[in-house]
Amino acid sequence: MSAFVRFWGTRGSIPTPGHGTRRYGGNTSCVEIRFGDTLFICDGGTGLRELGLALLARNSEGIEAHMFFSHMHWDHIQGFPFFVPAYASKNQLHVYEVDKSDTRVQRLLHGQMRSEYFPVTFADLGAEISAAFFDNGAIEVDGVTIRCLEQTHPGKSYAYSFEKEGTKVVYATDSELDLLLSNRDECAEDLSALRRLPPELVRFAADADLLIADAQYTDREYPTRVGWGHARANTVVDFAVQAQVRKCALFHHDPMQVDEAVDEKVAEGRERAARAAGSLTVFGAREGLELKL
Amino acid sequence: MSKDKPDFDLETTVVKDHSVITGVGRNAVPPRLELVRGPEAPRVLPLCPDETVVGRSHQANICIESSLLSRRHMLIRKSGPEFRLNDLDSANGVFLNGVRVHSAGLFEGDTIQIGDVVLVFREGAG
Repeated sequence: MSAFVRFWGTRGSIPTPGHGTRRYGGNTSCVEIRFGDTLFICDGGTGLRELGLALLARNSEGIEAHMFFSHMHWDHIQGFPFFVPAYASKNQLHVYEVDKSDTRVQRLLHGQMRSEYFPVTFADLGAEISAAFFDNGAIEVDGVTIRCLEQTHPGKSYAYSFEKEGTKVVYATDSELDLLLSNRDECAEDLSALRRLPPELVRFAADADLLIADAQYTDREYPTRVGWGHARANTVVDFAVQAQVRKCALFHHDPMQVDEAVDEKVAEGRERAARAAGSLTVFGAREGLELKL
Repeated sequence: MSKDKPDFDLETTVVKDHSVITGVGRNAVPPRLELVRGPEAPRVLPLCPDETVVGRSHQANICIESSLLSRRHMLIRKSGPEFRLNDLDSANGVFLNGVRVHSAGLFEGDTIQIGDVVLVFREGAG
């Protein structure tokens, strides 16, 4: 079963439009994943606005989308009020919460559309918007098994894996992998040492066709950003190597990284992957890039 | 103004050369692909204004005779200011900067590999 993945927003923290970021893009996190006719949307950063326009151009009938939020920080929800399909009654949005006891997704999507912040309220949205819940970390939609895994990030975040008939995509943004290393001391002494991640995390991403992961920082940047909730790109590469994924998209680019800086980050990641042998392909996620898996 | 005077007046004429106003430079360079590896390399391949099909078919807008290309291998479409490439379900795929892609926007210097052919996208100027 082929899956299509398209990047609509690849930037972290804050939108960064401008000439210096035109190649990788300045929109914040939003990824479209399609298995057949089933549409999954990961995060509603500013990239969600253009995804919405594209969906309307593709489909004059009703749009049905399944939305998963890694967490509710601004850069992952700020596109939602501008998601035009949410305004039309013929469209259906299923918005997933990880646990029935935690309704933060619904609460905060409503909250950011309060009149103090936005001229249109959530209640004014015309689409049929329903809450859906995982069951012990898993759910099935149209034959696609979706799993979630809690990540290390201020206020908590979640990774999601999407799998059907042997095709697997993992979306794992806003995760400070570097706080989880089992060999931190070794890695602090030797930046080239393989950074060992918890088996549960490796199993979650194991054998994925595509891993999309928060690779906000370089090794040089990270020491002054410990605890900020984001990983080093080289650590993401080691994660992908250990999980034996096929392709690894370095995602959630730091707002201070212009295109050339992201190029360098990617080049470093590719060299690291090549030294690890195997057939891992590392690339920098950029807006508009679409893969067929 | 008399017939002996030049056809513009320095006191009233704002701009003589209209091409400066419209932004259409006399030295405009069109968007193109540079074939840097493969049959008949090096070669400059201008892109069509709207859509350019690249493949080994002689019906393609850009025909490259390589057995590793599909007859209609990829499409490059102009949409507003952007050029976007699409894999036309080719057998051997389209690789953008080393990554196999289904579609993508193109930027200056992007390297596209189709089969044994390597192309560099140039945005042009003017």
